[in-house]
Amino acid sequence: MSASLRYDAVVVGAGVAGLTAATRLAESGARVCVLAKGVGSTHLAPGTVDVLGYTPDRVEHPAAALPEFIAAHSDHPYALIGTDAIAPALQWFAARIERGPRPGYRYTGDLDRNHLLPTAVGAIRPSALVPETMAAGDARSTAPVCVVGLRVLRDFHATLCAGNIRRAGIDARAVEVEIDVGRVEANAVGLARRFDDESFRAAFVARLALLLRPGERVALPAILGLRDPHGAWSDVQRRLGRDVFEIPTLPPSAPGMRVYNALLAALRAAGGRLVLGAEVTDVEREGDRVTAVRAATSGHDTIYRAGWIVLATGGFGSGAIELGSDWAASEMILGLPLQGMPMPGEARFAADYFAHQPMAAVGVAVDSSLRARETDNVYVAGAALPGAVPWREGSGEGIALATGHFAAQAVLEREGATATA
Amino acid sequence: MLSADALVIGGGATGAGVAWDAALRGLDVVLVERGDLATGTSGRFHGLLHSGGRYAVKDPAAADECVRENGVVRDVAADCVEDTGGLFVTTPFDDPAYADRFAAGCRTTGVPCEEIEPAQALREEPRLNPGISRAFRVPDASIDVWKLVWALARGAQDRGARVLPYHEVVAVHRSGDQVHGARVRNARTGTEMDVEAAVTISASGAWAGRIAAMAGIDGVHVMPGRGIMIAMNHRLVNTVVNRCQMPTDGDIIVPIHTVSVIGTTDVPTDDPDDHTVRPEEVDAMLEEGERLVPGFKRARALRVWTGVRPLFEDRKENGGATDTREVTRAHALLDHRERDGVAGFLTITGGKLTTYRLMAQDTVDAACRQLGNARPCTTSTERLPGSEDGEQYRIGERLGRRELRLSDDQLICECELITRRRVEDAIRRRGTSDLDDLRRLLRLGMGPCQGGFCIYRAAGILHGLDGIGTPDANAGLLDYVRERWKGVWPVLYGDQLRQARLDEWIFQGVLDIEHLQ
Repeated sequence: MSASLRYDAVVVGAGVAGLTAATRLAESGARVCVLAKGVGSTHLAPGTVDVLGYTPDRVEHPAAALPEFIAAHSDHPYALIGTDAIAPALQWFAARIERGPRPGYRYTGDLDRNHLLPTAVGAIRPSALVPETMAAGDARSTAPVCVVGLRVLRDFHATLCAGNIRRAGIDARAVEVEIDVGRVEANAVGLARRFDDESFRAAFVARLALLLRPGERVALPAILGLRDPHGAWSDVQRRLGRDVFEIPTLPPSAPGMRVYNALLAALRAAGGRLVLGAEVTDVEREGDRVTAVRAATSGHDTIYRAGWIVLATGGFGSGAIELGSDWAASEMILGLPLQGMPMPGEARFAADYFAHQPMAAVGVAVDSSLRARETDNVYVAGAALPGAVPWREGSGEGIALATGHFAAQAVLEREGATATA
Repeated sequence: MLSADALVIGGGATGAGVAWDAALRGLDVVLVERGDLATGTSGRFHGLLHSGGRYAVKDPAAADECVRENGVVRDVAADCVEDTGGLFVTTPFDDPAYADRFAAGCRTTGVPCEEIEPAQALREEPRLNPGISRAFRVPDASIDVWKLVWALARGAQDRGARVLPYHEVVAVHRSGDQVHGARVRNARTGTEMDVEAAVTISASGAWAGRIAAMAGIDGVHVMPGRGIMIAMNHRLVNTVVNRCQMPTDGDIIVPIHTVSVIGTTDVPTDDPDDHTVRPEEVDAMLEEGERLVPGFKRARALRVWTGVRPLFEDRKENGGATDTREVTRAHALLDHRERDGVAGFLTITGGKLTTYRLMAQDTVDAACRQLGNARPCTTSTERLPGSEDGEQYRIGERLGRRELRLSDDQLICECELITRRRVEDAIRRRGTSDLDDLRRLLRLGMGPCQGGFCIYRAAGILHGLDGIGTPDANAGLLDYVRERWKGVWPVLYGDQLRQARLDEWIFQGVLDIEHLQ
């Protein structure tokens, strides 16, 4: 016999969309449980909130570009929820980060103007809302840049990064700092943990200071702390006496993990619960309602009963939607109908990598309230939604955040209507 | 201008084999190849070192050649060969009568063949179709063609040969009845130069007709037979597994390095550079894989590629058959002095990788006859650089070496266990700044992630070594991603689509390479 637990809402998926929906529901007094097979894309993503970066031209002002974008993409998640739903979600997120467990760490920016930040290869990427630790990298500033590499970090190459920043019209050069971390390779998260340590920072800065020229801003890979990024970044900046900014590296991502930590803290502060390692194996239904999900955790099954289900499981990238060798695609938990699949005989992929890829915008079919088709109480948020190509549009976290926020709102409105009735 | 005794056109296994053989006999050799070495047919096959079993019934002459060469190549190119062994199995989908013909064919042609109990075959290869009714053990093996061709080229270079990848022949020089070299264009710089040679050897495989035409010689008709191959993640089998039936589509799975390759189809084409992959070919291949290894379609397909067999038909003598499977797999050496009255020019085409050494021997024998050189061929006993100890490659070697030095060096490619030092050494040794050259040298980016993590790292290392400027590094990165995609998208489903999505997030979401200036 399996244990059975009862919640108001069960959210499946612990990425930005799932944690946002769950936290918002919990903050409104709902009893919420998040079930997740593992952590979401936060640990892979740069940690910026990109709302709209390319249409396909580079977007400088998302608020101004969104109406035309939505008009041209009527099945895009932003078109379903409306542009007015985006700004409140960003504000909600920024407030959760500020209130979070990392004192002083905050995000900066809004929909009016994208930051233009260099990537690890030195391309200039547009982002609406970014960690304070990245903001000084904006390519609109003409101040020269010194990109700092660490030999031990193979996931960030300073010379290539500086070479491309220079091509973008900013005076840039690269230096390498040798610092002993007791091993030949470390990833960004391992180094970020070291940067939480003040004596490590001091030793690093002492070496770096010798290499800098007057007037340069300093670009570091995104390794400035996990436990106290604000403290680490401010400390390095103060010691160097100049602007310092982080550039996201190949995964794993320290800034992304900071987002995860902040949202999880907010969820718990509001009384919500997260069960990691919980793979949904079965569901119970009554008519078009899903009344419970069964999840396997460490060798036993638990049944989670809920009035509302929020599906924030991601798309093909997370395994939530699968394409078989017979070229049929399925949503793996509830078998929900999909939208955007090419018809049999039509091209699934284009031969040119950067061309429009027909499979890219496949997702779970929803109505304009993000409710999954053929269900009464299942709402969908994030990368599981159809109609977007977030990695090309520069819209991933924007969609996750705004639709997670919106799905919670939709549930709360239905709940309110039920309560009133 | 360069001058040499012999100009070899074509840097596949045959051309490199000719250069090695000729250099061992003391000839001064220049080898030119339009792309990188082993990027034509040689670099586009499934990696099988034939036991001869595949030809035992249908083409006894080819089987006989394979039997002999298999033993020689295992010794002289030991480091390139993994002794996987091979099985021919009769599945429920195969004509049961073929097995006896197969066994008889092996006896006649001398292919070492031992029938074993199906239960024994299933113990050795538990993923095989449990319905197999007959099983035969043969000495098939897998061979790393890039390692082989580079070992041949290095050996030739050590004996004075000049090996020039990225040099394309634009004209063959002929005066009257004598060919005396060619004009080549450096594909990277665009500059042209003449190579003067006493004998010019066209080892250009499926492209041999074009080279012959440049020398004003007609009727060298090489009908390219195009076939697709799919690399599956992991070794679904550890033995080469063949269907025991007449050769047909999708009848073999070859375990090589960390993957297994299923092959192949056979479609006549007019253009040897035609790399079209038809969706129905992919579907058919997956179906055939499923028949040999149930569950095959649920395994992860990494990529698909096509190769063209150079199937030779001498149009000077007869009109042509059009089913490319009916054309012999034996090789054809054309001495144009005898055939066309044009001296100083030879064409070697047809054949198969397993017999590259024999093809080279026949060719260099003919060249020596024209040059009056009487030195005998020694390639059947002379071991290649890297294979001096005669030890065959074993899966797990890289991991074994890596484990001894876990704390010494960074891993740049986790899938294929390639360290930073190996990347840097390869860049310096080859003098290349091309990520695709590094891929063939090191297997960089050939594993499950198809370059998602290592290509940025390799581009950064390449750029940091001052080998190339930023625009070239960017172009290399973009070209690599575009090139890999061509082989990925036709087989993109299941977990590999999931992987591709992660790669898209890295390349476009994190790095934004599309918007590099």
